Amino acid sequence: MEGVSKRFGSFYANRNVTLSVEEGEVHTLLGENGAGKSTLMNILVGLYQPTEGRILIRGEEVDISSPGVAVAHGIGMVHQHFMLIENMTGLENIILGDRRHRTPLLQEAADRATVEELMERYGLEIDLDARVSDMSIGMQQRVEIMKVLFRGADLLVLDEPTAVLTDLEVQGLFDIMRSLTGEGKSIIFISHKMREVMRISDRVTVLRRGETVATVPVAGATEQELADLMIGQKFTESTYRKVEDAHEPALTLCEVSWHPEVKHGGLKEVSLAINRGEILGVAGIDGNGQAALAELVTGLVRPESGELVGPDGAQIALFSPEAFIDAGLGNIPEDRNKMGLVGDMTVAENLVLKQTRSERFSRGHGAWLKMNAIERHANRLREENDIRCTSVNQLARSLSGGNQQKVILARELEGHPSLLVAVYPTRGLDIGATEFIHDQIVAQRDAGCAVLLISADFDEVLKLSDRIVVLFEGQIMGTYPGANPPIKEISLAMAGK
Amino acid sequence: MAKEAISAQERRERALMVLTPLVSVLLALVVGAVIIACLGKDPIEGYRAMLQGSLGDLSKLSKTLERACPLVFTGLCAVFAYKCGVFNLGGEGQLIMGACATAATILGLGGEGVPALALGLLAGIVAGALWALLPGILKITRGLNEMITTIMLNYVALYFMEHIFKNVFSDQGLPKTVALPAGVRLPKLLGAHVGVIIAVVLGLVVWYVIFRTSFGFKIRAVGMNPVASRVNGFPVRRLVLLAFIISGAIAGLGGAVELMGKTPFRLAAGFGAGFGFDGVAIALIAQLNPIAALLVALLFGILSTGGIMMQSVIGVPTAIVDIIRGMIIIFTVAGMASIKLPQLRALIASWGSKSTEAEASA
Amino acid sequence: MDFLTVLPTILKAMAMGAVPILLASLGELFSERAGLVNIGLEGLMAIGAFVGFAVAKMSGNLWLGLAAAMAAGVIVNMLYAFCTVTLCSDQVVTGMAINILAPAVALFGYNLFVGSDPANATGAQMPSIAIPGLSELPFVGGALFNQTLLAYLAFLLVPLVSYFFRHFRAGLSFRSVGENPHAAETLGIDVVRMKYVACVICGALAAAGGAFLTLCYTPIYIDGIVMGRGFIALATLIFGRWSAVGVLGASLLFGFFDGLNVALQAQFQAAPVMFFKMIPYLFTIVALVFFGSRRAGPRASGQPYFREQR
Repeated sequence: MEGVSKRFGSFYANRNVTLSVEEGEVHTLLGENGAGKSTLMNILVGLYQPTEGRILIRGEEVDISSPGVAVAHGIGMVHQHFMLIENMTGLENIILGDRRHRTPLLQEAADRATVEELMERYGLEIDLDARVSDMSIGMQQRVEIMKVLFRGADLLVLDEPTAVLTDLEVQGLFDIMRSLTGEGKSIIFISHKMREVMRISDRVTVLRRGETVATVPVAGATEQELADLMIGQKFTESTYRKVEDAHEPALTLCEVSWHPEVKHGGLKEVSLAINRGEILGVAGIDGNGQAALAELVTGLVRPESGELVGPDGAQIALFSPEAFIDAGLGNIPEDRNKMGLVGDMTVAENLVLKQTRSERFSRGHGAWLKMNAIERHANRLREENDIRCTSVNQLARSLSGGNQQKVILARELEGHPSLLVAVYPTRGLDIGATEFIHDQIVAQRDAGCAVLLISADFDEVLKLSDRIVVLFEGQIMGTYPGANPPIKEISLAMAGK
Repeated sequence: MAKEAISAQERRERALMVLTPLVSVLLALVVGAVIIACLGKDPIEGYRAMLQGSLGDLSKLSKTLERACPLVFTGLCAVFAYKCGVFNLGGEGQLIMGACATAATILGLGGEGVPALALGLLAGIVAGALWALLPGILKITRGLNEMITTIMLNYVALYFMEHIFKNVFSDQGLPKTVALPAGVRLPKLLGAHVGVIIAVVLGLVVWYVIFRTSFGFKIRAVGMNPVASRVNGFPVRRLVLLAFIISGAIAGLGGAVELMGKTPFRLAAGFGAGFGFDGVAIALIAQLNPIAALLVALLFGILSTGGIMMQSVIGVPTAIVDIIRGMIIIFTVAGMASIKLPQLRALIASWGSKSTEAEASA
Repeated sequence: MDFLTVLPTILKAMAMGAVPILLASLGELFSERAGLVNIGLEGLMAIGAFVGFAVAKMSGNLWLGLAAAMAAGVIVNMLYAFCTVTLCSDQVVTGMAINILAPAVALFGYNLFVGSDPANATGAQMPSIAIPGLSELPFVGGALFNQTLLAYLAFLLVPLVSYFFRHFRAGLSFRSVGENPHAAETLGIDVVRMKYVACVICGALAAAGGAFLTLCYTPIYIDGIVMGRGFIALATLIFGRWSAVGVLGASLLFGFFDGLNVALQAQFQAAPVMFFKMIPYLFTIVALVFFGSRRAGPRASGQPYFREQR
């Protein structure tokens, strides 16, 4: 790919990117969130059209105008978020849309034979007749890989494939990758996980802010060098003070279970205490019960067994978001658009979302909204929190992700919560917004708030937490100190050991 | 810089959204004119007759207002419900049940004067609310699609009304009820019954509740994003149920008003026919703004009474008016969707940057 | 009331009552499997009823009337398709718009048609064709196997549709469009085209269902002849669990209650007839209460599809 650029409106997702991949090599595309990796690959597989630049396959220029064309050229992609039909079987997903047979009828038997042969050749274990929704994540990924192999792909793009795998499954994936390259196929491996990159790649291209920074062979490079290229500055140690003495708990979970039989999403006999003046970080790969934990702690679901105990030692009986909010909960949810903000309401309205009945903003318990007071309030919060928007009467969905998150933060922190739950609070945000939010969270802790930080961003958890617990398949694997955390142990715990 | 453009774009989009229904009305009228012309009649004369017949003099105007009156109620019913994300298509059934309850209360209990009037209106409100309560409960407890349940209840209400006017309060065996006695009819003001004033006031009240109260704020939030509403502590199920109840009550009130205000003051076959879907159409064209709904209902009233005059003057079937109504809503739907389309949004944004560039270089 | 003597009448009414709903519901099956919830069935059926009636009367050929009705249904549904697929408008709102516009067009057409010649008010009907042998079966024979050709075709459609979705390549692709259109797109399936095709089929079948009403059920057309069947067809799809066979069962069940309503009216002439008329509609609600889980439907049903998503 030469000189490829992609513009969305006035935003350049890719600018003048050059990438070249050799036959039989594993070429890693390295970069942080938002560096432009996925966009570039979407261009390669025909989902997006480049604004500028050209693509050459074996020296010949090609125009990849649609996914079908990409497939015809032997390019196949396994997306980070699987493109599978959950209600269909593995085999159906693999043969979907394929046109090799001339008849309008499905040739299931013949296709099955082809797939089974490929499964043998590359060591991909798949239950072809199981529904995708019943499959493990690892098997789903193998179905995705088979989809591209079935269509004769010679160049495979794997987008963050290890994000959802356990260590054991990652090894299995790497074995498959090696057998593929052994037969001359090429792989573009997208990742931001240094350790794996070092393990599996032949060469690395680093992307930063949509531009190519460098292309280096892995053999001569060190992790630190690559990290520096990726971030553009030296990776610094955490600058936040860590708290080591325990205060009294704001919320305690005692042997709480919720859908304990579900491995990827349930909770099994979880016990932990969230203490005042402390940040408790929950580390773990996405899909191990974090969402359930967040919902429990914010009153959205009730535990099936076990109990939650409040600050006064009394068991909590009423599970509703309203009750928890009244008791002093501040919530920065996982999905700001779906759960945190009402996108079609204005910024000002979102900032007073929970307070429309209060004396400050209405007369007669909500019978007459004081529009001026609401606007003044919004403007004040906007200044204090550096929320960049033209006007507080703007629709919330038109703000950038960072500013949306600041709105949520401003709203939640205004009430001086006694328990702050932050779930992946800096997802998709740039460095400036991330730092701002981290500062705010630490400030809350210093003011005596109990903070529960759930994040799939391991570095974030390491940076902020005073204590760390690891969640794996719904269970707590262990508790670790936040100051000088034993990273190796924690990583192993995250993988289940 | 980018943020400013977005806000200006937002302003432009909003302007276009308001413009869309107006353009749709014009477009529909044009297409209607074409159809009339194809039938060999003169569209200009037709439309003039329409305006004459609906707004020509005071008595015609009051007829138009009275024709528009029930549509305001069903329109507001739909507006309130949809603001909360509830597709209450049962406005017609709720209106009919309201009228039935009014008839039953007044004809059954007797009574006269203001107390009886008030009781009649109250009966309508309660009946309408209850008729919408059932689909509401089914939705929040079992997640049942309220579109289907409310429409099924429309037909049940229709047959119930048939029972009322054929069997229960029949006027000497004829398929219509006895007329309401003179003491229990809504008084007239300048030729139109005061129900019209009730309708207008209701429109203002609904606007106020939705946009200026905490309750209305929560209703809107639930309609826009029920998940976020729940996470932020709103009692979503309770609010949805209230939306059903209130919208049903509004429609029921409309039924009471219609029975007590409009000659012949009886229930008979065809009472309330078409008001329900018209109300939905009004709500959609008015883009869920109660004040706009008042205006659109008036427009529909004009089309209706004007259509009758148009038929007698140029001989085109009144159904042309239904077609025009249908086209207004299709064009509105298409127009609103087009504005929100990503490609068009980019186009609108580019108008913005061109104009700011021009300003900068000027 | 002797139930056994009434049963054949009820069964015959059941089969007849089921057909229009079955056709509309099958059309909606295609539409929803492609991810489009079309609540405009009522309007489509009205158009089909009128056009079928008028063309059959004018040409003297009932099958021509049916073909014209289906064509009209397709044209009207293209309006829906354009708005929802290309403009990405809200499917429910657009469906309602069709429900308002289409019957109006049908009524207008009808007024013109009858206005020009009052004799046009009554049309011809399709004859019933008895299947030899089967129609002699006790009870069910006369009822189920003595139907019009259109009814037989409608029933025949059920196994054909089932087979299509399960064994045809296009059937698999079709289903994927409603489950996960983005995934389908990455596999080279033309999602937009499939949605349009679904709308063509839905328009044609729903209109055929409407035409059945005026060509086989009654010989006249009246405003509102559809009587909510379009919405009932939506319900039968839900409790038929989005399978052709399920839809058949649900439609027959509804037809049964429709027939029961007529039989009860005939038997209990003294009683208020209206309550019997309510039965089919109340039944629909009750059925939804017990079987109305929407979770079994295509996953991406009802969501607009944007090609390039940021």
